[in-house]
Amino acid sequence: MPPSSYKIAIIGSGPGGLSAAGRAADLGVSHVLLEAAPQLSNTVQRYQKGKFVMAEPEVLPLRSSLAFEAGTRERTLSVWEDTATRLRINVRYNAEVKALSGEHGNFALTLQDGDRIQAQNVVLAIGLQGNLRKLGVPGEDLSFVQYQLDDPEDYADETIVVVGAGDSAIENALALARQNTVIIVNRRDEFNRAKEGNLKAVRRAIDAGGIQCMYQSAPLRVESVEAPGSKPGVIVLKSPESEAAVACDRVIARLGAAPPRKFVESCGVAFPNKDPNAVPALSDRYESNVRGLYVIGALAGYPLIKQAMNQGYEVIEYIEGRAIEPADEPVLREKFRVMPQLPNVSVALAMITRNIPVLSGLTTLQLREFLLDSQVLAPKPGDIVFRYKDYSNTLFCILHGAVEVQRDSEDSVHKVPLRQGEFFGEMSLISGRRRNATVIAGKSCYLIETPRRSMNKLINSVAAVRRIIDETFLRRAIQTQIAPEVPLEALDDLVHTARIEQFDSGAVLFKEGDPGDCLHLIRKGSVTVSRDIGGRECVLSYVAAGNYVGEMALLTDSRRFATVRASIATETIRLDGTAFKALLGKSPKLRNKLEETARKLLANESAKVRGGGTGDMVSFFVNQGLGEATDVLLIDESLCVRCDNCEKACAETHQGTSRLDREAGPTFAFIHVPTSCRHCEHPHCMKDCPPDAIHRAPNGEVYIQDTCIGCGNCEENCPYDVIQMAVKEKPKPVNLLSWLLFGKGRRPGDEIVAETGKSAQKIATKCDMCKDLTGGPACVRACPTGAAIRVSPEQLMTMTRKTAN
Amino acid sequence: MHVSFLAYRRFEYLKYSLALIGLSVITYALHDPSVPPNGGTWLGYTLGTVGAALIFWLLWFGVRKRQYHSHLGQLTGWLSAHVYLGFALLVIATLHCGFQFDWNVHTLSYVLMVLVIISGMYGVFTYAYYPARLTQNRADMGIRPMTMLREVADLDRRCLKIADQMGDKVHQMILRSIERTKLGASLWRNVLGGVGTILGDLTDELKSDVGRSQLPLRPLATPIMQQGGEMTVMYVANQFASAGADQVKELLDLINAKKALVTRVQDDLRYHTLMSVWRYFHVALSIALLAALIAHVVSVFFYW
Repeated sequence: MPPSSYKIAIIGSGPGGLSAAGRAADLGVSHVLLEAAPQLSNTVQRYQKGKFVMAEPEVLPLRSSLAFEAGTRERTLSVWEDTATRLRINVRYNAEVKALSGEHGNFALTLQDGDRIQAQNVVLAIGLQGNLRKLGVPGEDLSFVQYQLDDPEDYADETIVVVGAGDSAIENALALARQNTVIIVNRRDEFNRAKEGNLKAVRRAIDAGGIQCMYQSAPLRVESVEAPGSKPGVIVLKSPESEAAVACDRVIARLGAAPPRKFVESCGVAFPNKDPNAVPALSDRYESNVRGLYVIGALAGYPLIKQAMNQGYEVIEYIEGRAIEPADEPVLREKFRVMPQLPNVSVALAMITRNIPVLSGLTTLQLREFLLDSQVLAPKPGDIVFRYKDYSNTLFCILHGAVEVQRDSEDSVHKVPLRQGEFFGEMSLISGRRRNATVIAGKSCYLIETPRRSMNKLINSVAAVRRIIDETFLRRAIQTQIAPEVPLEALDDLVHTARIEQFDSGAVLFKEGDPGDCLHLIRKGSVTVSRDIGGRECVLSYVAAGNYVGEMALLTDSRRFATVRASIATETIRLDGTAFKALLGKSPKLRNKLEETARKLLANESAKVRGGGTGDMVSFFVNQGLGEATDVLLIDESLCVRCDNCEKACAETHQGTSRLDREAGPTFAFIHVPTSCRHCEHPHCMKDCPPDAIHRAPNGEVYIQDTCIGCGNCEENCPYDVIQMAVKEKPKPVNLLSWLLFGKGRRPGDEIVAETGKSAQKIATKCDMCKDLTGGPACVRACPTGAAIRVSPEQLMTMTRKTAN
Repeated sequence: MHVSFLAYRRFEYLKYSLALIGLSVITYALHDPSVPPNGGTWLGYTLGTVGAALIFWLLWFGVRKRQYHSHLGQLTGWLSAHVYLGFALLVIATLHCGFQFDWNVHTLSYVLMVLVIISGMYGVFTYAYYPARLTQNRADMGIRPMTMLREVADLDRRCLKIADQMGDKVHQMILRSIERTKLGASLWRNVLGGVGTILGDLTDELKSDVGRSQLPLRPLATPIMQQGGEMTVMYVANQFASAGADQVKELLDLINAKKALVTRVQDDLRYHTLMSVWRYFHVALSIALLAALIAHVVSVFFYW
């Protein structure tokens, strides 16, 4: 029988492939959709039951023959299945493609069962999930061994062995542990591959005995047991010391999947480099270097469902020879409306590639995606783009014109110009600190402003962008923070020695008594300076990002005076000592300035050593994570009458849920740090927010938007336990006088305890420093005795000095 | 960095208060009415109006305290003003009546006012004195009273477990000692609300625990009348000969640890209560004062 022949063969029935097949079916084009699994959209099928599927990015319109909106996994899948049937999509299940060869007009596909298919065009939409890795030991296919978990609630009172140390293994183990005995098997002795939230949760569960963990253990074999009354299976595990047989009801192995790159390369598709995260080089019509072979979806670098679906639609249109504009075209056109001189979006994109070197390395598709999150601004001459000490953290690229940078808020004469193609704002983006300068727009100035999240995504995915931004940051940081009076060119030798170093919390940058061979400029995080006094390491001071440490030993040619430790995860720019000394030799002015600062510091520190006490307080604050705080609530317990009016005020001004717990948290020398948001420099809560609902307001407040979907990631990620999930409900307003006079209604400040039924949607709540209320934080305003104040870390350190004196 | 309500804005309201007192005293001294000084002279009326206005304003504090959305000053400032101007009221009202006291509604208002002010002054004292005491008392212990109470319950459990092994009498002894441990009476419960409920829960928890213990709770043939912890300690110490020395020592250690903890918990509760219980008098008397004040004003105008 001759092989069946189609105009378009689509491989993979995920969102991208399904949407492509849907469009082809809609247009009546001859097509086949090949799916390796026995069901559509296997990856989405494998999501945990009830998982909320996001429809990001919101601004992007959906263009597909299939409907899609944010909702549960079940809802999404049923809509797709119904539409697939209605459109009569020609789908072949259990049809894994083993080989693909040929070129435009004549592709040959070999399926797993040996069947062959011919196609003129091929759309590759296989995603990144690839094939699930199996245990790789005898018994891996026994009936009680499974490689995915649909609904953890389906299992109760079983002994379940979960193999794996990644996020899915941990999530499964945690969910199963609610009603089962769970043993998690980890090949290594740590879970460091997992997300921070999962890491914390699993460690907690192991410590509390909720989950048993076998570290450094690997499965040897799985056997089934027939004996009546015993567990159906046994898994034999090997650890460095011994072998252990664990009787169990079920083995769930979550070992990830083999990436599909090998297969893609075997089809003739070229990748730009060896980076495992690299995506194939594609034209802006998704066509690979093999003519007629198109790549869409996650494999092409677009992990979001909506993007993949749009691409599925578009790729069919392109194959059919129609030049439709991409789905994001109207959105981008709207963004460039402020530049009426540009006739269309492609001209604008070309201008960006030509004018802005940092973005010139992006493909058209990457650039379009980047712009989707960005804003094009057209400030008038003299407009302020941002102010010194603002808390914004976006990055600006100058598309046209120029801006002026004013470093000193007092000194309006000395301004540094930045011209077309340069970018600014990278200091706050990287360090998480406030803006260190004011930027004023020049004539006919056009800027592209990109939010932190998109910028970080770009920095992490495109090596060239990271390199350029890091280099610029280095140069500018060294100039502004060490030697503003020295011209940039004179710094070249020093800049060439610069290296970015990373330190975990508690790691030592250098030790007292070490030879002094370098200077550290702290670009992210903060450090403590301590000295050995009577055999004890006493903290003398705390140094925040934007300052430097280690200059003392270089100035005096002596050994290190003190030990410097990272108080939180910290990044520094390490500058070589010899090059620095050479610079000092050339610039006596700089030397004098540094010596002056060093003298003061030394005097101050020796006073502290004599005074004692202060160091303990600094250590206390640093241990409380105040090293990364930008604003923290402190209660003086010698003034606090424990009336909890602060909590009541918080609850009353924030939908009935107090975001602070006065009593919880430690106390040192009467200073109590209640459980309340510290508004970290690099908020842990922002790390993994699917709807990107956590933001920093211009005054520094970290807050959660209404778009919160209640996934709880931020609650897990916060190391200070200041985020709670609360029912999204607006309490009835309080009538103060009727309560006061007649005892009617709710007492002001009482917490709202709503019925926590399953249906009640919970969202994350945290302190927003009452940014929407006039008069400042309600907790401080409502303190009758002056015990509650909010302070910045800088004020905190003055406080420690005062307490010591 | 932290500034107490007493020192708010460098004692701004103390200064206002002293100015008000000074002004009233000087005017009173210079004022030379044809009749002996009383509420009916022009100065008397002026001081009376000022005093009544002050009373209404001072009462408003109870409302302002709960207006969490209000940004009319900080509550610390309001309390500072409340304290100092409240004190000034004592002088103003005294000058208003011209030291004329009698058995009537007018003097009743005055007396109530004095009582309110005295209770307030006691309140200021508790606010100045007990917060630091509380922290010191809680040092190195669980931060929350809940944790402290759990600890007590835990020590009790451990005592019972050892006592179980030491025989009937010791077990009964310890059980009684546990039952005698009173962490707060009904007043505490009323006053403390939250903490009181926790106490109740814990007591119940403990009782059910005791219920599960191995030994039957039958009365002893010779009831041992023990009063207070010392006797329990002595009794247990006397078991030295019959029971194992290790057990006795361990039990004694536990009992002593518990005693120390209970003292601290009781102090904690006492301090909390002292800081809040005065307000019940202060507020109740204020309401009474309001009623008496209205009667005073109405009667003055009625009998004009």
